[in-house]
Amino acid sequence: MGYSILLAQAALNGLVIGAMYTLMAVGFTLTFGIMRVVNFAHGEFYMLGAFTGFFTYVCWDIPFVVCLLIAALIVGILGMLVERTLIQPFRADEMSGMIATLAISVIIQNGAVLLWGPQPRPMPDIVTGSLAIGPFSFSWSRLVVIAAAALIFALFWLFMQRTRLGRAMRAVAQDTETALIQGIRVNHVYPLAFGVSVALAALAGALMGPVFSVSPFVGATPMLKAFVVVILGGLGSVPGAVVGGLVLGMIESFTATIFGSLVSDILQLLLVILILLVRPSGLLGQREA
Amino acid sequence: MRGILKAALLSTALAALPCAASAETLKLGVLATLSGAGTAWGIAMQGAAELAAEDVNATGGLEVAGKKYKVEVVAYDDHYKAADALTAFNRMAFDDGIKYVVGPLGSAPALAMLPVSTENKVITMTMAFTPKALSPDFKYSFRPVIPSDVFSDPQIKWVVQKLGAKRVGGLFPNDESGQQVGAANEAAYQAVGAKFVAKEFFERERVDFVPLLTRVLAQNIDAFELDGNAPQTAALLVKQIRELGFKGPIIRTGGDATADILKIAGKEATENVYVHQPINPDSGAIKEYTKRFEDKYKQPLNAFSPFFYANVKMTFAAMQKAGTVTDTDKVRDAMLALKDFDTVLGKVNWIGEAQWKSNQQLDAPFYVALLKGGEAHVVAKCTPKLCE
Repeated sequence: MGYSILLAQAALNGLVIGAMYTLMAVGFTLTFGIMRVVNFAHGEFYMLGAFTGFFTYVCWDIPFVVCLLIAALIVGILGMLVERTLIQPFRADEMSGMIATLAISVIIQNGAVLLWGPQPRPMPDIVTGSLAIGPFSFSWSRLVVIAAAALIFALFWLFMQRTRLGRAMRAVAQDTETALIQGIRVNHVYPLAFGVSVALAALAGALMGPVFSVSPFVGATPMLKAFVVVILGGLGSVPGAVVGGLVLGMIESFTATIFGSLVSDILQLLLVILILLVRPSGLLGQREA
Repeated sequence: MRGILKAALLSTALAALPCAASAETLKLGVLATLSGAGTAWGIAMQGAAELAAEDVNATGGLEVAGKKYKVEVVAYDDHYKAADALTAFNRMAFDDGIKYVVGPLGSAPALAMLPVSTENKVITMTMAFTPKALSPDFKYSFRPVIPSDVFSDPQIKWVVQKLGAKRVGGLFPNDESGQQVGAANEAAYQAVGAKFVAKEFFERERVDFVPLLTRVLAQNIDAFELDGNAPQTAALLVKQIRELGFKGPIIRTGGDATADILKIAGKEATENVYVHQPINPDSGAIKEYTKRFEDKYKQPLNAFSPFFYANVKMTFAAMQKAGTVTDTDKVRDAMLALKDFDTVLGKVNWIGEAQWKSNQQLDAPFYVALLKGGEAHVVAKCTPKLCE
């Protein structure tokens, strides 16, 4: 295998995991930007999306695109209910809100273990085989993840820029009080923002299910990476989450390919620390006044 | 008349009371990985204990020295981690008062736990492949499964000669189990003229192996080794290395993972995969056990399960022979005295004195199978000396 193939494979894989991190981190940073809540249960909504995708695809045998929509819808609605019932009461107290999300995370994960068992479940590929271009070989299932993630993000971007609800969310993120003065119903925006945020995590989970597998514990690593990504990109910044996700995915893939897994883990976090030393507010974050 | 009837019923009930009080419970611990990538092995061990318990409970309990014991299985998850295994073991030994444990599963948990289980005279039945799991220091540690340092040499020799592979690569978990298996593999391949040109280590939580497999494939390997990886991980490795375009032979020298490899990687990706097969799937007793296990647990049998089932049955026989369930020294001696004991695997004995100075390794034949059309076909029968 030549050097060019090695780099091409590393770039493709970096894009795949970067896409997953981006979807996770965008939702995560959205919740923080709008609600000032660090959602520790974000990884569990990813897991619920993966399970919803798994059951609908394997049991109902319906097109995968429909499975994705169902996963986003079910988890999104669940997220709105969770926000309304369990997070809203702690809105004035960020620390209590964070602890509430931590409790929600444990409840959802253990509930999933009780309901579906701890063992990982293999999910059949949406598409099988590889795309061979000369000496390069790219798995179709991974190429689909990149394309789907790009499409989902484009739709999310349009929603945020072009719809009244999206604009309302951005207004609340920028200044809650001014948004209230402008007649935006903040109490309606919060659950909706939380729902959209966890729906993005669910989409990431459902997309990655066929590539890896589905189990009650699959949300832990993406959650950890989402944390790193939002710090890297700038807490609360959606463009920062996109850039951060792709940068972390690429760093992870290239360092693991070139130096191996163990060195990669060290280098990833080292590079993140270096970036933060130069730009403490993250790549695209704004300094606190 | 009614008064007499009442008195008779009352006296019968009273007479039955001491009988009910004498029905004692014997707790059998299971300490294995019941979540994450090693779950298939953990369920295999838990299933073996539960099925063996079912057998004796169906006959009214295990009769030892005139007393009947109802066997109750108590299972804890070690998450394939040394610290968690030790915590769970302490709970078993000190809170539950358990003296017999099916487990630990991995080498790292075994090394953390065995000094404590030895000190407390708890009989363990481990799946740990590390040579350190059997030693005169751990006199209560038994191993029912055949470890890779017994089966890897004859199997690797057979596979290398058959395939003519010269350059081999593999990925191993970054812990005691993985490091030990990696080193054993390297030595075994080199001993038969092949070179282990790419050896990478990863953290067990990892599910995306593409960067590491790309790195391994860059070394132009002829064959890829799956030894040391949990069933789910081995299956993901097969799937992902095939997606990267590798068409060469894949060898599974390590513990049984065939069912998971076939289920996750699929028929197409599993062509040209050689696997270690601990049991002969054509044996009548194995077929019967497989059906019983799969009916109960609704998942394919992991071939390690019958080994633990056999070991638990031997433990029960040893308790009966020793006439005690509490004196593990006597039970241990009685277990070691069992010769040509009839089990689901056929007649088995204890070996290992020459290799580990501990005669607590179960002896049984093993096999090499080739995966074809989504099924395993036995292509060689092996002993610790050779495969043919």
